[in-house]
Amino acid sequence: MAAREKYDEAQVIEQLRNQATCKVAFGKVIEHYSSQLYWQIRRMVIDHDDANDVLQNTFLKAWTSIDNFRGDAKLSTWLYKIAINESITFVNKKKAMNQMSIDDEESFLVNQLESDEWFDGDEAQINLQKAIASLPEKQRLVFNLRYYDEMKYDEMSEILGTSEGALKASYHHAVKKIEQYLGETG
Amino acid sequence: MKHEDSTILNKYGKDSGFKVPENYFADFNKRMADMLPDVEITPIDVKPTMWQRVRPLVYLAAMFAGVWCMMSVFNMLNGSGDMNSVRAVAEKLSDDKGNVEDFIMSGSVSDYDILNYEDSVAMSNEENVSDVDQSK
Repeated sequence: MAAREKYDEAQVIEQLRNQATCKVAFGKVIEHYSSQLYWQIRRMVIDHDDANDVLQNTFLKAWTSIDNFRGDAKLSTWLYKIAINESITFVNKKKAMNQMSIDDEESFLVNQLESDEWFDGDEAQINLQKAIASLPEKQRLVFNLRYYDEMKYDEMSEILGTSEGALKASYHHAVKKIEQYLGETG
Repeated sequence: MKHEDSTILNKYGKDSGFKVPENYFADFNKRMADMLPDVEITPIDVKPTMWQRVRPLVYLAAMFAGVWCMMSVFNMLNGSGDMNSVRAVAEKLSDDKGNVEDFIMSGSVSDYDILNYEDSVAMSNEENVSDVDQSK
């Protein structure tokens, strides 16, 4: 089996700027980031098929605007920004299509979870996902990035355009609300 | 150190219960790479700007100016330094020389002094002669 080529971000960015090598380089970007972006998107949209569509849109958007990426920020930051925007847009569109209010968001996400054939969590995992779904959008985003991806606050700050202090406060509130929710539901 | 999320972490862990179909990521990567449309990449203009070219020289000049300023301030604060003494003496000499030259150039003052001197000498001589005559 051929050894997988090591991913060198600086080299890939250099190749992305060259018309002759940009497509191959973007293939490397997809290979390197698809998994981590998928899980971030999946935790926001819940359903696997929806996550697949949003991930596809994320890479297409990144590819068609690759000329705008000048290497000032990290590639991962730029991709996460696109992925999060796409996820939020998707969830809002879906809510609008189903004519839901903000209060219905939690039940909408829970329904998504229960109808998803690619979710096989036990009772505890369902409860945790319900608790996360009960959070406001920004807190849900911060909680997912910190709890599951263990993302540092400074990187999160670059992606979300929010101060580190505000993100820490958001995470703190999210944890308290989840603990309270899980305490009440048993 | 106890993390604020340790209660959730201990009880629920990090497995969210979400799954993906087998070989999903390998298939996705291939499918995605195949569907990328052609795009036009604009090469980045790497020609340096005027400021980027002169910046090292400006920084160097600023550094030298800073060092010169520091040395000036240092010398000012230590006024009794050797260099200052030499400079002060040189300035004093220069001033004295100027006064002497002024004095030489001013002829009327010199003539007046000379006349006064001659008058006083003449008067003194006359007094001496009259004293000698009286004693005779």
